[in-house]
Amino acid sequence: MDKSEVQKRVKKVIAQVLKTKGEDIPDNANFIFDLGADSLQSVELVAAFEEEFQVELPEDKALEVQTVSDAVEFISQYIK
Amino acid sequence: MSYRELTPDEIDLLIKTNCSSTDWNNIKVAEKFTPIQIKNVNFSGEVFIGNNVQIRNVMNISNYRIENDVLLENISSLIVEGETTFGNGLKISVLNEGGGRELMIYDRLSSQIAYLLVTCRHYPVFVEKLETIIRNYSDSRKSKIGKIGKGTSIKNCGVIRNVWIENSSTLEGVSCLKEGTLLSCIEDPIFIGTGVIAKDFIIQSGSTISDGALLDNCFVGQGVKIGKQYSAENCAFFSNSEGFHGEAVSIFAGPYTVTHHKSSLLIAAIFSFYNAGSGSNQSNHMYKLGPVHQGILERGSKTGSFSYMLWPSRVGPFSVVIGKHYTNFDAGEFPFSYINEENGKSLLTPAMNLFTVGTRRDSQKWPARDKRKDPVKYDILHFDLLNPYIIGKILEGSNRMKELLEKSDKDREYVSYKGLHIKRLLLKTCIKYYEMAIKIYIGEELLKKISEKETNGNEDRFSEVLKYDHSLYSEKWIDAAGMFIGKNDYDQLLNFVAMGKIETLDQLNDEIRKLDKKYPDSSWAWCANFIEKRFNLKIEEMTKEHLSQIIIDWRDNRIKLNNMILKDAEKEFDQTSKIGFGIDGDEETRNKDFQNVRGRYEENKFVLELKKESDEITAIADRLIKALMP
Repeated sequence: MDKSEVQKRVKKVIAQVLKTKGEDIPDNANFIFDLGADSLQSVELVAAFEEEFQVELPEDKALEVQTVSDAVEFISQYIK
Repeated sequence: MSYRELTPDEIDLLIKTNCSSTDWNNIKVAEKFTPIQIKNVNFSGEVFIGNNVQIRNVMNISNYRIENDVLLENISSLIVEGETTFGNGLKISVLNEGGGRELMIYDRLSSQIAYLLVTCRHYPVFVEKLETIIRNYSDSRKSKIGKIGKGTSIKNCGVIRNVWIENSSTLEGVSCLKEGTLLSCIEDPIFIGTGVIAKDFIIQSGSTISDGALLDNCFVGQGVKIGKQYSAENCAFFSNSEGFHGEAVSIFAGPYTVTHHKSSLLIAAIFSFYNAGSGSNQSNHMYKLGPVHQGILERGSKTGSFSYMLWPSRVGPFSVVIGKHYTNFDAGEFPFSYINEENGKSLLTPAMNLFTVGTRRDSQKWPARDKRKDPVKYDILHFDLLNPYIIGKILEGSNRMKELLEKSDKDREYVSYKGLHIKRLLLKTCIKYYEMAIKIYIGEELLKKISEKETNGNEDRFSEVLKYDHSLYSEKWIDAAGMFIGKNDYDQLLNFVAMGKIETLDQLNDEIRKLDKKYPDSSWAWCANFIEKRFNLKIEEMTKEHLSQIIIDWRDNRIKLNNMILKDAEKEFDQTSKIGFGIDGDEETRNKDFQNVRGRYEENKFVLELKKESDEITAIADRLIKALMP
């Protein structure tokens, strides 16, 4: 899967979890400061990425992911 | 101490210093009594006065034995009227305001005995027998003469009636105390301050009641602080609890129940290791059959500012409740949960509170904050965060979530369970978090049993150190207001009382202490049995490979957990946390202001300690693994 596809799906997941429009999410948006995610939603995002991409993400490392671009990079490492 | 009658010269001197008595023959004094230290005092009934006692300006002292080194000054009334038990044997309506769970209080009551008496109403014979035991003890406390213990100081007080005052108590400016016991001691004195009104009470050593606190039908355990106009009725506060500003009605405040803020009403619930945010509020009344409902907040729970709960509801251990909850829910199977409110629904997120800074700090601070200095400690407290009780609940919670996950369609946002909503998406994640806790628990318990010495040499050593006494195994566990007890031992304890094998409070306390003493072994029996089931082998058959894997799992998950806690701590230093800093300046000013007030994440004591802990975990694990698998 190429990175643009990963990014598209990452934005789709973020839009679903944070109840916002995917096209409004900038590539470098920070989940907390820019998109208003709280700590529960941060965990929910990780769970949603896992379900979307059918991957297992390490819990502690996944919580370090704070931006859309971080998420794309991080998830790309785990996609077979 | 032996007392003698007053001499005629002493009576003359007392009369000259404006003292009077309804009958001087009823005033008995110690051998070295000094009448010059008694001024402006009216005696009635029987009074015994020890050595080095100063009494000034007391309008009425009646029926008291005043021991050595006591100061009584400016008191309107210090009397015992008729025979009294001094608060012993009094029943208070805790947990259920409408009654049915009355707690019979007495001066040596522990949180464990109180817990059994209040919660075991399914076993009426036990309750009846235990009440008889307490009643017998209370009857033994009956007297027409009160005590003012050695080294006590009472100044500027109003009425003190039927109050037993043990050694080294200090009472200053109290307004009214009626029917009670102050079980003070020299090692851990009691202080009762200005404006306190207490009626029908027991207060144990090391406690402070001050600043206009109102107590009516209350038990106060050891090392408790109640003040700043706190008001409580029909409540029991056990060791290290604190109540300021707010109000409590019919609560069983187990050890470390803390409520500091105005507008907090705690009502008809049982707590322990609990922290009430400002404005925490609950209802036990649904305007039907009266205030008959009750709530359970298991150990380590917190309620956020202006949170509300409708009883009956149950919150699992180490959970956080945020928002207003108008439905009845039962989250008892889910430790370390967040329970928040979203669009009127009570939303449960299990395991989320496992990796917060708050949980880690709380579990570290409680043992360090045990204020009890009395050599006799009534409440038995177990502080271990992960134990058979909590892990048992984690296993139950995991199983529930697995069932819910299996049953729920992928397109559903929430699943419902016992009045709660859980986000389907998070079920798998929460199970994973619980699994982390299980791996950490197994590793830690195992590391208590084996040391590096055991890992060197032959494998036979393991069977010796890991074996457990099968008779100590209990599948279910109880958290009896601070103490973990295996259900088998708990059942046996209740039966001993019900069958008359335990007939006195001393015997009951001895039995509970025996359970405490064997806790490490019975706790290990549970863990070893759990390991056997999990790995499908006998504990004696554990090989170096098994042990290494458990240690690796422990290391990896402890470090992962610490990293997650560090991530949570990092939030305290992020952009949001800097809001309001550098109030009139630019970003640089804001950063400098923040750094100077709050410090830097990298230099934070908690952060540094946690990082050091992770390094130590790695070092311990690596050494053990190397020794096991050279």
